[in-house]
Amino acid sequence: MFAYVVRRVLATIPVMAIVALFVFSLLYLAPGDPAAVIAGDQATPQDVERIRASLGLDRPYLVRFGSWVWDILHGDMGVSIFTNLPVTTMIQQRIEPTLSLMILTLILAVSIAVPMGVLAAWKQGTIIDRAVMAFAVLGFSVPVFVVGYLLAYVFALELDWLPVQGYTAFSNGFFPWLENLILPAIALGGVYIALIARITRATMLEVLGQDYIRTARAKGAGQGSILFLHALKNAAVPIVTVIGIGIALLIGGAVVTESVFAIPGLGRLTVDAILRRDYPVIQGVVLLFSFVYVLVNLLIDLVYTLFDPRIRY
Amino acid sequence: MRRRHLLHAAPALLAAPRLAGAQGARTLRFVPQGNLANVDPIWTTTVIARNHGLMVYDTLFGLGRDFQPKPQMAAGHDVSADGLRHTISLRADLRFHDGEKVTARDCIASIARWSKRDVLGQRLNALLEEMRALADDRFEIVLKRPWPGLAWALGKPSANICAIMPERVAQTDPFQQITEHVGSGPFRFRASQWVPGSIAVYERSAHYVPRDEPADFLAGGKQVFFDRVEWRIMPDPATAAAALQNNEVDWWETPLADLLPVLRRNREIAIEVVNTAGNLGVLRFNHLHPPFDKPEIRRAIFPAIDQKTFMQAALGEDAALWQVPAGAFTPGTPLANDSGLEALTGPRDPEAAKRALRAAGYDGRKVVMLVPTDFPTLNGMSEVAADALRKIGMNIDAQAMDWGTLVQRRAKKDPPEQGGWNLFVTSWEGLDVSVPGSHQPLRGNGQDGWFGWSSSPRREALREAWFAAPDQAAEKRIAADLQQALWEEAPFVPLGLLRPPMAYRRSLSNIVVGGPALFWNVRRG
Repeated sequence: MFAYVVRRVLATIPVMAIVALFVFSLLYLAPGDPAAVIAGDQATPQDVERIRASLGLDRPYLVRFGSWVWDILHGDMGVSIFTNLPVTTMIQQRIEPTLSLMILTLILAVSIAVPMGVLAAWKQGTIIDRAVMAFAVLGFSVPVFVVGYLLAYVFALELDWLPVQGYTAFSNGFFPWLENLILPAIALGGVYIALIARITRATMLEVLGQDYIRTARAKGAGQGSILFLHALKNAAVPIVTVIGIGIALLIGGAVVTESVFAIPGLGRLTVDAILRRDYPVIQGVVLLFSFVYVLVNLLIDLVYTLFDPRIRY
Repeated sequence: MRRRHLLHAAPALLAAPRLAGAQGARTLRFVPQGNLANVDPIWTTTVIARNHGLMVYDTLFGLGRDFQPKPQMAAGHDVSADGLRHTISLRADLRFHDGEKVTARDCIASIARWSKRDVLGQRLNALLEEMRALADDRFEIVLKRPWPGLAWALGKPSANICAIMPERVAQTDPFQQITEHVGSGPFRFRASQWVPGSIAVYERSAHYVPRDEPADFLAGGKQVFFDRVEWRIMPDPATAAAALQNNEVDWWETPLADLLPVLRRNREIAIEVVNTAGNLGVLRFNHLHPPFDKPEIRRAIFPAIDQKTFMQAALGEDAALWQVPAGAFTPGTPLANDSGLEALTGPRDPEAAKRALRAAGYDGRKVVMLVPTDFPTLNGMSEVAADALRKIGMNIDAQAMDWGTLVQRRAKKDPPEQGGWNLFVTSWEGLDVSVPGSHQPLRGNGQDGWFGWSSSPRREALREAWFAAPDQAAEKRIAADLQQALWEEAPFVPLGLLRPPMAYRRSLSNIVVGGPALFWNVRRG
């Protein structure tokens, strides 16, 4: 097991290297010039050139790439072209809101979607099953920002229960933290709930038709025991896989959700950086997201062993 | 406790911290037009950095509501009889945020840094014989040639402002960002609480002593009535609108025109044109390549331009939010005039434009138009421009892109078929284009000039004459001549003056009107 983890961790190195090369090259080729944005309309072409030189943007591709990689290897992600702040500082400032949003969404989604999927499978063909599937279709179809605006309109503007926007750090108290995040988490969680509920239902239907389930019933096991101990545990591997894959959905959805609810997270940092062509920030954040995704996949692989003892690394 | 009781209590539990966390009355919560991405008003020309600069730094002079300069940090300003020697004395009570006294050396270093980046500063640099301190509180600027507009340049609010910083800070290379944020203005910037893209925090400076006069735009007494001002960045207009309605913010700088009806329905919210100088819409041609290398073709377009349609596309039907006709200079400012304005005010005649275009030799070639889609106002005006030009027979290739791409693309001098361009729509801060000195679209300095690279010795000579103009009457004559040159040489087409309103809670009063959002004089109640 330990050797497997080490192998997998080492395997992330070439993956990250490819991501780094890809991101850097893409930004190098993309149109846009931060020096022109900084200089503004009154600047002369000489001013723009001078700013470009001061930012090191006039250096050849390989020199810039080499310098960036060298700095990354020394734990330095560079300095934002615009804010003059270290990229690591900017990421630190933004990581808590995004992590909070993703964790709360994950908890909400799993705690709603899994029972929903189990229920739909158990009551297959009934009105409950159809209602769950209808909800799933809705969750897939309605964009995050529409759900976000609707929730803000109802719960903030009309009922005045919750704030429209913003983020309060967890250190300022659980309830202030929760009141700012609950609507974004529900908005972001919609598609995730739909995905997990559908997979849970499909997998559970397959498992519920297995011989050992019939045996459990014949032995007189209760419905709850059959569903959650015998069936769900055996259906868990594909569900956990989907939960892991869904992290990418969450990262993408967080960009929109953070904009709609004005949450100062990594998603908005990425969008702002892209619009301004703040290359060091874009590179830093994309690299971080890639690393998180690789790490989540590793964790998912390890979690398999908890549900299926036949899996050994 | 029954489950039902718990469910009933849940909303109250959630709402309770909101009451506890309610903002104090001494904090002003403001949603600026965009993200404050950098905080050096000399290093960058962005409007938001300028607005930040106006809070944190004071200026030697400030424009009043009549757009004329008045002493601000300066106590006095004496000009020698030959107009070459400007002696500026400082007010005795000036202090930086760290408590240090503001001296002549600080002012000289600040002017020197500003003069390397700002367009009028560069003019000063070209005219400068020497700058020297005469005493701790007095310095002189000696020019090679008279420049009556020096005080205007030192006090203008358009980017870059001549922000007065401590000498040690002002000695930073103007092409590098400052790292110390010790200002001279009414607000202290709390750099430690700055989260770019989220929040910028300012506190009233304990060391700032306002002039003992009523506030007068950028001049007069800058009395502060809030202990703390928070800029809360909200990229999504619908969210900002909801936050304003929900009393989570007090003031929104740039409400989207589409959302104004919703905000107007709320009796707690006022909609007001605060920036009366507004922004001038500009259709800019690339003079380097056909077809707009010919003045006849550029001129041919005038009869097809209906400024009102551009304004409506940008800001809607409410005529209080825009002004037409607009000529070369910002309507409502001293140099605005009606010389030749009939080119845009007479009956609109697309057929005449079509005929003139043919007569001028337009051969139907593709015309590449750059359209920024992430600025709704510019996008709307671009669509109207494309439509108007198509109607007179132009083969328009409207290429949609974000602003970041546009600013790079418009710098390309290559032919349109090789990645260059033919025209784009933008807007200029009203105060920038209120005088010839900083009016870039009107300049004729060719390859060294603003994107589009218009060349005109006549307009350059008139600009030079403006710098030496002895009084406003002479300035007005020059402005009229320049406007006449606009109709004849057509370096750009003015599209009207945009006056986007601001929205704020009615709990605020005494907002300073004239230009950008300013945070002195405004109070709650």
